[in-house]
Amino acid sequence: MIYVTDGSFEGILSAIFEAYENKEIPESIVSRDFYQISLDTDVKEIHTNEEKSGRVYNAIIEKMSHEALETIYKAWLSEHYEVGTALYKYVKIGLKIGKKVLSYLQNPDVLLVNDLAHKVAFESHRFLGILRFKKLKNGLYYSRIEPDNNITMLIAEHFAQRMSDQSWIIHDAKRNVYALYDTNEIVFTNEEIPITSDGIVDTMFEQLWKNYFKTIAIESRKNPRLQRQYMPRRYWKNLTEVK
Amino acid sequence: MQLLEKLQILADSAKYDVSCSSSGSNRSNKKGQLGNASMAGICHSWADDGRCISLLKVLFTNYCIYDCKYCVNRVTNDIKRASFTPDELCELTIEFYRRNYIEGLFISSAVIKSPDYTMELIISALKKLRYEHKFNGYIHVKSIPGADLSLIYQAGLLADRMSINIELPSIQSLKLLAPQKDHQTIIKPMSYVSEQIQGANELTIYRKKQMFVPAGQTTQLIVGATRDNDLTILNLTQELYNRYKLKRVYYSAYVPVNTDTNLPAINTSPPLLREHRIYQADWLLRFYGFNAGELLDENHTSFDTRVDPKCDWALRNLDKFPVEINRAPIETLLRVPGIGFKMAQRIVRARRVAPLSFEDLRRMRVVLKRAQYFITCKGVYYGDADIDSGNLYSILSEKTDTKNIYGQISMFAQPVD
Ligand code: SF4
Repeated sequence: MIYVTDGSFEGILSAIFEAYENKEIPESIVSRDFYQISLDTDVKEIHTNEEKSGRVYNAIIEKMSHEALETIYKAWLSEHYEVGTALYKYVKIGLKIGKKVLSYLQNPDVLLVNDLAHKVAFESHRFLGILRFKKLKNGLYYSRIEPDNNITMLIAEHFAQRMSDQSWIIHDAKRNVYALYDTNEIVFTNEEIPITSDGIVDTMFEQLWKNYFKTIAIESRKNPRLQRQYMPRRYWKNLTEVK
Repeated sequence: MQLLEKLQILADSAKYDVSCSSSGSNRSNKKGQLGNASMAGICHSWADDGRCISLLKVLFTNYCIYDCKYCVNRVTNDIKRASFTPDELCELTIEFYRRNYIEGLFISSAVIKSPDYTMELIISALKKLRYEHKFNGYIHVKSIPGADLSLIYQAGLLADRMSINIELPSIQSLKLLAPQKDHQTIIKPMSYVSEQIQGANELTIYRKKQMFVPAGQTTQLIVGATRDNDLTILNLTQELYNRYKLKRVYYSAYVPVNTDTNLPAINTSPPLLREHRIYQADWLLRFYGFNAGELLDENHTSFDTRVDPKCDWALRNLDKFPVEINRAPIETLLRVPGIGFKMAQRIVRARRVAPLSFEDLRRMRVVLKRAQYFITCKGVYYGDADIDSGNLYSILSEKTDTKNIYGQISMFAQPVD
């Protein structure tokens, strides 16, 4: 039996609920986006349901801890094609052994969830550093990012605290997710916000920054391999100093 | 002079100071103001030499009245000179910060007119940043050797971190290469700052928190400008951590910039591998429970070029191995070559749930290449050579072109001695 969800976090939790309710053991829980129809397996379409997902959500907190919920949520943000199944197995083990599931790294599913959550946390931390704002003509600060994982939700709060007196937009161009901050609150949206390139007028400080970046390296220690290890090439096109 | 040119000159002369970290402070922001500090520190970019860029690192001025032999800015060098105004410095910091280029400012300076005069200039810029611009980002300030302690105190109230660079690891070297700097002008402010930090911490118990360099103080030692060996450097490091409670000691492989009979020739490559080994040893002191005497001694005064200091230690202490992964306390696991701090924690956590097999370790991505010779799992030894076979050194030696992280980089790696 394969459960097919809409891929949302609540969708996966709803599927987990149904597995328990129907006393079924689905072989996998997959997102519609990844699912390829095959003829010889049973497929069940799962409808995302707030009440069902809410019950699983609460059970995770009660039986396993907030930390486990955080791990599960972060792992989901990785958008890994097997994350639905792994989360299902993780929750199953967690409901049995409780909080200890966090440490049970001998188990491949627990390890996978743990690794995915770790990857997501690592990339969010990285983006606290390598995200760049450009000042627009109208005074707004705009940032375009293309992270591997869906991290906008995780990083927005940091910038709201830090740049609390400036309005900004963080735009995940891969997923078309926007975080908008107006010096008061953060709003997340998928609705396209038009940013034209002639709205960006920020040459002076970008020039100063590029120049600083070049100057600060020590010639006789040049080490492009090490540089790329810390700051992989795929991120460069949104990085002012190396673009 | 244009701001662009000034920035170029004053960043260029600041680049040999290697400390860049922005960690250790949790200064918070107030609504409607700019900036905060992150306890863990954040790297914003990596320069072409692979070093992290976290702070805007510049000199206030590179005009200097001193003549330290190893330094680009010494008075007898004919180089372009510039000074920022406090306003220019504030503008650069704030505008860079708003675009998320940096965590804050690292301000250092050559000595213009006098140490006190220089320190006052720096303080006036920092006051502007903190009070006029309400800037709560990270500030690392260098205290100028010879400046009055009351000025150092004022700077400490504005900064998150403070450093005073020892640079030369022994008094003899200092006499030779920086004759105008008395070693007391370095040690005195360092112990003063260390006392103030402790005092501020004690005060917090009774009163409202008074922030005095909340992220502590650091220093830098130059490696390879003098004849001082690794043992001298490591003993000094240990003393700095124990006695002065420094947060970090940084090491900078010497890049020759001047010609002098007492210095390495101008075309000498910086000793990056040696710097790397010293950093590894420094981590062993700070996080792995080693002390300097275990790593080096009078008969063993420099680090091995082909094995890291922990491995070197283990090979000299084979009688302490192998250790059982499922029972050894964490302090013992930390001494196993190939097992790092994070991994030791994961092992200890996981084995509380169920005993670990060799396969489990592999799956958890413990790097077993080196560890296999020093551990047993459920009593079984998995190393593919016997621990007493006498050829572990050659098995564990790094090949000349390893993918090693810190300074050991293929082309420029210069094994020392
Ligand atoms: S005082 Fe500082 S800047 Fe001046 S020459 Fe000595 S090391 Fe260089």
